Amino acid sequence: MNGVEQALSGGIESGTAILFPAIGELIGERAGVVNLGTEGCMLAGALAAYATGAVTGSAWLGVLAGIAAGAACGAAHAVMVVVRGANQLASGLVLWFLAVGLTAVLGTSYVSQAVNPLPTMKISFLGSIPWVGPVLFDHDPLVYIGFGLVPLTWWVLYRTRAGLVLRATGERPEVVAVSGRRPQLFQIFAVTVGAGLAGVGGAQLSVGYTDSWFDDMTNGYGFIAVAVVLFAAWRPLFVPAGAYLFGVALASASVLQAHGVAVNQYLLDALPYLVTIIALVVVARRSGANAPEGIMRALSYAT
Amino acid sequence: MTIDIDRAEQIGFSPAPPPPRGRLSPAVGRILGAVSDARGLKRLAVVLATYIACMALFALVVALQHASPWGVYDTLFRSALVNDGALAEVLTRAVPISLAALAVCIPARAGMVNVGGEGQLIVGAVAACGVGVALGGKFPGPLGWVLMGLAGMAFGGAWAVVPALLRIKLAANEAVTTLLMNFVANDLMLYLIYQPWKDPTGGGQPESRPLVGNMVLPNLGNSLTLSMLIALAVAVGVWALLQRTGWGFALRVVGGNQDAARRVGLPVQGLLVSSMLAGGALAGLGGMLNLAGSQLQLVPGGTATYGYIGFLAAFLGRNQPVKVVLAALVFSAIFIGNSGLELNYGLDGSVVDVLLALLVAAPLWLSRGRKEAF
Repeated sequence: MNGVEQALSGGIESGTAILFPAIGELIGERAGVVNLGTEGCMLAGALAAYATGAVTGSAWLGVLAGIAAGAACGAAHAVMVVVRGANQLASGLVLWFLAVGLTAVLGTSYVSQAVNPLPTMKISFLGSIPWVGPVLFDHDPLVYIGFGLVPLTWWVLYRTRAGLVLRATGERPEVVAVSGRRPQLFQIFAVTVGAGLAGVGGAQLSVGYTDSWFDDMTNGYGFIAVAVVLFAAWRPLFVPAGAYLFGVALASASVLQAHGVAVNQYLLDALPYLVTIIALVVVARRSGANAPEGIMRALSYAT
Repeated sequence: MTIDIDRAEQIGFSPAPPPPRGRLSPAVGRILGAVSDARGLKRLAVVLATYIACMALFALVVALQHASPWGVYDTLFRSALVNDGALAEVLTRAVPISLAALAVCIPARAGMVNVGGEGQLIVGAVAACGVGVALGGKFPGPLGWVLMGLAGMAFGGAWAVVPALLRIKLAANEAVTTLLMNFVANDLMLYLIYQPWKDPTGGGQPESRPLVGNMVLPNLGNSLTLSMLIALAVAVGVWALLQRTGWGFALRVVGGNQDAARRVGLPVQGLLVSSMLAGGALAGLGGMLNLAGSQLQLVPGGTATYGYIGFLAAFLGRNQPVKVVLAALVFSAIFIGNSGLELNYGLDGSVVDVLLALLVAAPLWLSRGRKEAF
């Protein structure tokens, strides 16, 4: 595999770690709740997956544990925001702080333990297509699940009644309430599911892509996921573009280094965040009108 | 006609008796008035119970790590209040934390969310380091400090203005962009201290050349340093700026209702950008004070999440300068205990984050029944 293929292939794998939290955050934001604690949910998922994988020997049980851990964090945020009426941004950041601290404390004993990572499955026929194959079809199964998650989310949001109510909850919860449903339940459900997906993203990071655990290993990728949702203008079909773009930027850094290109590591580390900010800027203007009304209210809370 | 007390309180009308006049300040009078009736007592009990529950949760986390909760709280207490040099430590750390917290307050008045305190602290320190090292230890001290401070404020302000401009021109949400800029700032600093600015005498450690001689902010004796005085003066200045100037008032109008502000003729965009500029400049100054007053070198993790702690302190203090600085002091005191916990109990260095987060979760939980968002 040459350098470009390596970067793209690695980009798909690491991009999957962004895709899951991004889709999750999209679901939550469509319901009207911003979760800045997505980073924390990812961390919780990463540690839970790694720890469970180390203890039980099965990375798949780890993924399930990751979902549970992420969903638990998300449920806490959902209760704070929906039931107790807390400020969404502050609650998310508090959740992040809590997760950083808890995972650092609880995860110290797992840093040096080894884990069986998720197996790489090459899809036999598609994986042999000369150029596209190794890039797209030679990864761990979570990547393939990610491929399917996007159209599934689109379908649920736009072609089912539940999705319609969810979107309505993000626009005007009062209307949903008047129609006889409980918007709070939809919001809590959406945030919890979204955070569970973030947990999967974290699991992908720890047992799928890097096969390791260390303090704060998500390094801001959860915030990138929040940015990707803005970048995609809250449309599920556009989320992969942002997620994989970021993943490629991330993977390029290590590929460039491996090939001895003399660019400082930290400048390369900053590249993904800069790419995301630029992407946000390029897209933001025309996407502002697309925002669910509830989100515009939530994101402009300051005092 | 029945009076709905909850609704009445929501819109600010209190059926409680007016506060006693005379020698008691209005705040004390209000507290006494609030506690003197049954509902106030109940509310107080709920508040106390929430905080106790959060502290108990922390005790639980600590116990899971085979450390005694009593011992942990005792260590925290001692590190902050009892040990030698504790007060100096607390005040020293409170400098960047409180400035970072004030950096959140000013934009918040105008309705902008500035989560970029961490990055602004870092670039302020970077700029101050560049100026301080270039000037060298023989340069006249006070002039050098002013130059470093200005550099810090300029870079911090610039770091905040970029997201501000992105917000007003391109509707890119500033909470997310300021957050992302934090990571860029950190990488920028790491790049500088690993390569161009690496200290040749540092024994291979990634750090910048230290500030020496006249460039270091002095101790004034009795565990008071110049940086603390400056920080205090700045805090008072911010209060005055927000409460006593036309600009501060204009910010509040913009924060309250942008449309109304626009119709009254206020330059809304300029006010939004200038509020972020001021906030970033404050954080940049905090970074400079932290560098020149205590760290003396840029090191990885030198600002140690002070920016985010400042954000939480601003939240706790409801974006009012006096309360915010008090919250910053409290957080600083808790933060000091971190090394003690690491040494005595082998707990990970981030364990204090859990306590801080829980202490902020308490007022979040108590948000119910409050009209304002915080």
